[in-house]
Amino acid sequence: MFKQIKDLAGGEFYLIASLLIFMVFFIMVGIYLIKMNKTHIVEMSNLPINEPQPNEYEEV
Amino acid sequence: MQLEKFTYDNKIVRNFGIATIVWGVIGMLVGLLVAMQLFKPEMNMGNQYTTFGRIRPLHTNAVIFAFVGNAIFMGVYYSLQRLLKARMFSNLLSNIHFWGWQLIIVSAVITLPLGITSSHEYAELEWPIDIAITLIWVVFGINMFGTIIKRRERHLYVAIWFYIATFVTIAVLHIVNSFQLPISFLKSYYVFAGVQDALVQWWYGHNAVAFFLTTPYLGMMYYFLPKMANRPVYSYKLSILHFWSLIFIYIWAGPHHLLYTSLPGWAQSLGVAFSVMLIAPSWGGMINGLLTLRGAWDKVREDVTLKFMVVALTAYGMATFEGPMLSLKQINGIAHFTDWIVAHVHVGALGWNGFLTFGILYWLIPRIYRTALYSKKLASFHFWIGTLGILFYAIPMYWAGFTQGLMWKEFTPEGLLKYANFLTTTLQIIPMHILRAIGGALYLLGAIVMTYNLAKTMLKGKLVANEEAEAMALEKVVAHEDPADKKWHRILERKPMKFMVLSMIVILIGGMVEMMPTFTIESNVPTISSVKPYTPLELEGRDLYIKEGCVNCHSQTIRPFRSETERYGEYSKAGEFVYDHPFLWGSKRTGPDLHRIGGKYSNAWHYNHMLDPTSMSPGSIMPPYPWLITQKLDTTQTVAKIRAMQTLGVPYRENFDAVAQAKLKEQAEAIAADLKQNNIEVKSDREIIALIAYLQRMGTDIKANKTTIPSNQ
Repeated sequence: MFKQIKDLAGGEFYLIASLLIFMVFFIMVGIYLIKMNKTHIVEMSNLPINEPQPNEYEEV
Repeated sequence: MQLEKFTYDNKIVRNFGIATIVWGVIGMLVGLLVAMQLFKPEMNMGNQYTTFGRIRPLHTNAVIFAFVGNAIFMGVYYSLQRLLKARMFSNLLSNIHFWGWQLIIVSAVITLPLGITSSHEYAELEWPIDIAITLIWVVFGINMFGTIIKRRERHLYVAIWFYIATFVTIAVLHIVNSFQLPISFLKSYYVFAGVQDALVQWWYGHNAVAFFLTTPYLGMMYYFLPKMANRPVYSYKLSILHFWSLIFIYIWAGPHHLLYTSLPGWAQSLGVAFSVMLIAPSWGGMINGLLTLRGAWDKVREDVTLKFMVVALTAYGMATFEGPMLSLKQINGIAHFTDWIVAHVHVGALGWNGFLTFGILYWLIPRIYRTALYSKKLASFHFWIGTLGILFYAIPMYWAGFTQGLMWKEFTPEGLLKYANFLTTTLQIIPMHILRAIGGALYLLGAIVMTYNLAKTMLKGKLVANEEAEAMALEKVVAHEDPADKKWHRILERKPMKFMVLSMIVILIGGMVEMMPTFTIESNVPTISSVKPYTPLELEGRDLYIKEGCVNCHSQTIRPFRSETERYGEYSKAGEFVYDHPFLWGSKRTGPDLHRIGGKYSNAWHYNHMLDPTSMSPGSIMPPYPWLITQKLDTTQTVAKIRAMQTLGVPYRENFDAVAQAKLKEQAEAIAADLKQNNIEVKSDREIIALIAYLQRMGTDIKANKTTIPSNQ
């Protein structure tokens, strides 16, 4: 399974560079997530359900 | 701060909702027709406008761009207004968007059966319609960003990031995949050829799945699921992580559609590696959706909308697990070109897109009509018949895919192909195709019941065209007042334009790494000196091949497997396709590969086969093409076509356009004379002659012996 990723006859550069780009990107997003403000997260995740819902017509 | 009163535009949401339902039923009906054509060729109805090759793109375009497209706009227009606490930016733009999109769909319904197609899968519409799509997409963008700018909610909820990513990426994909050189009002050639064209097409094709069928639906999921369950999303952090990872990784995965083709090996491997990685962000979305229902699973038992959402998310999880698996070369070697892929996409289409759309429709229509759903029982019936339909669709197609994929590869102990006749493998899976059509019919029945149920609901209630709302006006924020506001994502959540630019950079990286070397480094597409441009007659024949949609059932790329080189001949090389504007590799083998068909049979065989396929291959499910024999070949554009090819870099000698007509006539007469030897009287100016010329040329450039078998032998 890994043969197709390992033996690229000169094409390894593209793969290694691409994975590095992604790793850097992923770590940046990760750091940002760790540093996120908790109250802000709660506020954001409640956005859709905070507005009044006109569902009084729904039968229970 | 002052409380402002305003209204939400529900009318535009309703309009897109009705369009979703109407086009959905039509698209599924056409799907059922093409499904039946595969076991009952009479369903091609004996005329050129309803053959599988022309109707199959109509089905895919209708369900993707008409059904799902309208559903996206319905969901976006409803949720965007409420998440931003603002009415849509402009009523006029909303209406132009709505009617423009419907006109585009109507133009597809007219042009595709007429055989007006560019042949790029999921981008078949010709260039004037491409321009119209671009304009309407821009209208949608202005309307969306206008609303974002005049919003009363400072921060953009995660659903809106998905909408922004959708808007920007679809724009990029559509424009790059539409680089065409027009020949006439409804005919064009793609600027790229062969391997490069294939890479662009599947970069587009794969990411149309990502950014038309996935990201807007994830955005809708992040809004409507919390609303339905009345609880916030499970993890907002996970939604951020999976959003950025998803849009970054998805764009790289396109080459997994081209494994074992003549695309450079490193590009294929990049596609494989990123496809495997894609499972993480995809499952991040599924898990986030399903866990939003934690502690609310009792509601799922009662609430039919939640039932639809749960099956949709499960189908999304299954399809996005299967996708990376199918990208592994070993699995792809069996699955590619078979019904396995058809099963895979329909788990996504019927389960994820279909069921999420139904769930939202059942939730939304009663709300904007201020009434209760007409019948919960009917909705529940729809849920069960739809689920059953998906199972009846997918399971036989998986079975058919495994069966045919393995039959193609089976050798006898003597080392010969066990099923040397391709048709044997086709006939083997006919029962599975019948079951699939039953599955499709059940699913369609569910959609029709929904139509009735929602129509009754609309008649029962009254549309609140302008729903009243109120919110505080947004004050200008000075960033340095609150240090927390300096965090970059919080800044991004407030700066939609910067957000759009950043997401565009993220999606551009993958495409650029894959495309730029393939386009600029010569060694990636080695040329072959014996490969020559098509003759004028062959070029016309090739355009007929495109017009009839032959590519929908026949591939033109032989993979380097012994099972394929034994069956079809030498495997395909990148250098053989350098004059192919567009490439015609195809993605499904309902019939055999045709890359080495040239010289394999006589002209007479092809003539008889096109007139009645069963006369040459008893039991064949290919429809007959008698009109090719009666219709005169249109050569009015031949000169323009040669000139266009010259512009695109095809090395016809100077002033070749001046002799093109004479060359065409000469070759056509030779074929007609050869056919006459076998007592086939046909005028040399008929379409069939051009098609035969193309078929006989295909894949012969690298053959040592290029002579065609005379028709009297």
